[in-house]
This record gives sequence, structure tokens and C-alpha cells, in this order.
Amino acid sequence: MYDKTVRRRRAVLVLLVVLSLGLLTAYFGEAPSGRLHSVQRGFLTVVSPIQDGANKVLKPVRDLFSWFGNTLHAKSQLAEVRKQNDILRKEVIAERADEHGYHELLGLYHLDQLSLNSYRPVTATVVGKSPNLWYSTVVIDKGTSSGVQKNDPVVNEEGLVGKVAQAASDGAVVDLITDSEVGVSARINGTNATGVVQPKVGEPNDLVLQYLPGGTAANRGENVVTSGTLESPDDSLYPPGIPIGQVSSEDEESGFKSVNVHPLADLHNLNVVQVLTYTQSSKPARLVGLQSSLPSAGQSNPGSGEGNPLTSASTGVGG
Amino acid sequence: MTLSGSLLTRIAVLILVVVFFQIGVVSEVPVFGVTVDLSPLVVAFVGLLCGSTIGAATGFVVGLLVDLALVQTLGVTSLIFTLIGYWCGRLRELRDPQATLTPLLVGAAAAAAAAVGYSLIEFMLGVDAPVSLELLRQIVLGVVVDTIFALPMWLVVRRSLEPGLPDDPRRRRRRAYTTGGLSPLSRS
Repeated sequence: MYDKTVRRRRAVLVLLVVLSLGLLTAYFGEAPSGRLHSVQRGFLTVVSPIQDGANKVLKPVRDLFSWFGNTLHAKSQLAEVRKQNDILRKEVIAERADEHGYHELLGLYHLDQLSLNSYRPVTATVVGKSPNLWYSTVVIDKGTSSGVQKNDPVVNEEGLVGKVAQAASDGAVVDLITDSEVGVSARINGTNATGVVQPKVGEPNDLVLQYLPGGTAANRGENVVTSGTLESPDDSLYPPGIPIGQVSSEDEESGFKSVNVHPLADLHNLNVVQVLTYTQSSKPARLVGLQSSLPSAGQSNPGSGEGNPLTSASTGVGG
Repeated sequence: MTLSGSLLTRIAVLILVVVFFQIGVVSEVPVFGVTVDLSPLVVAFVGLLCGSTIGAATGFVVGLLVDLALVQTLGVTSLIFTLIGYWCGRLRELRDPQATLTPLLVGAAAAAAAAVGYSLIEFMLGVDAPVSLELLRQIVLGVVVDTIFALPMWLVVRRSLEPGLPDDPRRRRRRAYTTGGLSPLSRS
């Protein structure tokens, strides 16, 4: 009797471990269009309305907990924000004048810039977030039925959040900018030197802007924004000028310069995001199509928009 | 331990509630900069109350649900949680610890095993991330925060499952001794 119990217990354990390993191997080995991925997308389609409902019902509970943390955080930032506000007010006054001149020039030369007007923002609620340190993804409640497609840029009120990795009919998975799969063509605001923003290896909450030309000026606190160029044909075409983060320190080695960037968007506290969707005949779609139809001209120099004639051509002045 | 219909229903409801609460609420509220993970705690405590077989099965199901809902690599969480559930069940079957701090220690061990297990499997799957001080800090902080939530979670799991659990003769005997009912001393 005892032997039978022991045998059954061990058999159950072995069966479950083998099943887990089988799932892991099959999932890891198959293509994103494979059967297990489809099951996962199907599950997401079924579960996302429930998650959305639970999310709305439990929002007061979440807000209560967040309130304590946010109050403490806000108090510690108040003095710094006031100082920044004074500086920004002066900058805004100066930039309004520049902007006026810029629009006049645009009209004069009939330049058709790639701007946010080319996109249709879809507001979505974050309904799933992994507690695991290793997964930099969130699940949102809008999918292909709302026009969300793979690779669409995702932003919130603070700045760039990431891009859509997978889209089901009523939900989508968003890869955050801190995910190792994501690379964003970016530049330091006020300069023309472009690089690629990627997660900092070993520090999952920080970013690094790599492949900047040597000698590029980068001061602490300067904003890093999207350049509006594509890094590779299967990448997302982020509109130019979306804030990504602020320079925290710099590093120069082997002719290239890299700067450490602290993301502006609080990626641990995402509730509402906007997916920048576009229609098949829109300007972003045409530019992505153009990029994928041409030979990979600039791939030998991945970080530099200057070395990639296509990326520079596709979006005008690159942001 | 035999799995009655009542116990099965209670475990299923508990799993669903905890997984959705984890995804919908707990994941959204960082504590000390890290996210609390209730799922390894619930698996460990089901194992501690119901034994190794039920613990392992619960771990597998919770892991599968988490991987499916969060679109993670299928099988990773199931594998880790199966082992956590099994080990906690074996702890009950071999030692049957009754100390007040047992859930705290078991919760800490389960959280640590989950964090280290994820890291090991992710390294084996080829994630490009060296062991850095920041990573270790996040893991340690995560374990500490999970440990803080272990006792409340233990109360929730025990209260949910206890009515469905068959009366354990070992515990009945121990209760009887502590209340004086079957103690040989009381008869003398």
C-alpha cells in the first residue's frame, strides 16, 4: 500500500515535470505562428475581457495602494520639479518663437514630415503585467479589432513605452523599451547624431543610447527622443520627437559614444497607454513598405542614421 | 491525501482568484520598487496543506495559467511551480511542521526558489544578462517583499481550503494531547 502511494506520487511528479519540459521545448522551438503560440493568443482573446473587467472592478483597490507610494514619491520630487519648471518656462518661450519660424519654413518648402498626425492613437488599458523580473512585457485590452497591429508604437503621457509584439483580436502584448528584443533609433534632443536605444545589460530598468558618433555632446539631464528612422526592416517606425528618457551619464569607447538613459515613462506603473496605429495606405505604412522592399543599405552601421541613406530618406530630416 | 470534490473546487477557485488578482492588481502596485508575486506562495501553501501530489499538480496549473495569461514562454513557470508545490508537500508529509513561523519560512523559500529558478532557466534559454548587483538586489528585495506577504497569504489559503481537507489523524492526535483529551497524564 505504502509502495503504491510512493510510486503514484513519484509518477505524478515525473509526469508533470516531463510535461513542463515538453511544453518549454516545443514553445521555444516553434515559430510565432505555431500551435502553442496560437493557443496562447486564443487564451489571451478569451481572458483579456475578463482581465479588463477585473482591472476596472479592482481599480479602487489598486489606486488606494498606489496613492501611498505616489504621495511619498511626489513629495520627494517637488523641489526638483519646481526648479525644472522655471528652466522649462524660459525654454518654452524661446522655442515658441523657433516653432513659428519652423512652420513658416515648412509651408514655404512644402515639406511633408512624418508626424503624429499620420497615426491614429488607440487608447488601451494595461490588463496584465508579469511580476517576473525577466519579462518586460505588458498585456493591453485592445487588439486587431481596434486596428492594433504588430510593431505599432506604444506611448503614454510621459513618453515612449514600447511596441506591439503580438496582437490578438481583443488584446495585445507590448514589448517595453526595456525588453532585450527592442531597439529604438533615437537622438539626443537638439543634436542630429542618431543612435540606438537598447536596454542596459544587467540593469533591467535602464537604457543605453549606443553608436553615437564620437565627440557628440551629451550633458546629464538632456532629453533623448525618437529619431523617426528605422533600425531594421522589421522594426517599428516610431514617429520622431517622442521623449524616451534623460541622459544620466556617458561613456566613450572605440570611436563610438554611448550614453546611459533613464526612461521617462514609469514602466512599473503603466495603467493607460496609447497605441499609435496607422492604416495600410497611410504615410507610415508606405515608409515601412519602402524600407522592407529595398536592400538593407545601412545595416553595416546599425546605429547611425547618417550611414543609412534609406532611413534618412524615409523620414526627411529624421525628427 | 485523497482529493475530494469539495477540495478540488476550493483549490480551483483559489487558483483562479489568486492568478487574476495577481495579474490585475498586485502586479500593478510596486512595493519598495519590486512587484509582489503571490503565485509561488499559493502553490507552496497548497502543498503544505494538501501534500506533495496535489501541491505539484497545483503548481503545474498555476504556472500554466500565469504563462498563458502573461504570454510568457510556456512551461517555465509550470516547471518551477511543480517542483515548489511538490517540495512543500513533501515537507508536510515528512516533518509536518507546526511552528507559527513555518509559513513565513516556507513562503520565503518558495519565493527564493521561484526567483532563482526563473533566472537559471532564462540563462539557460540564452537571455543576454550577466549576474549584476542590480539583478541580485531585485531578487533579494523580491524575496523579502514576498516573505512579508507570506503570513496573510497563508491565512487566506488555510481558511479557503481547511473546510475541504480530510481530518488528519496525526493532527487530531496532537490537538487531543494539547487539550488534554487523550493524554496519558490526564488519566492518572
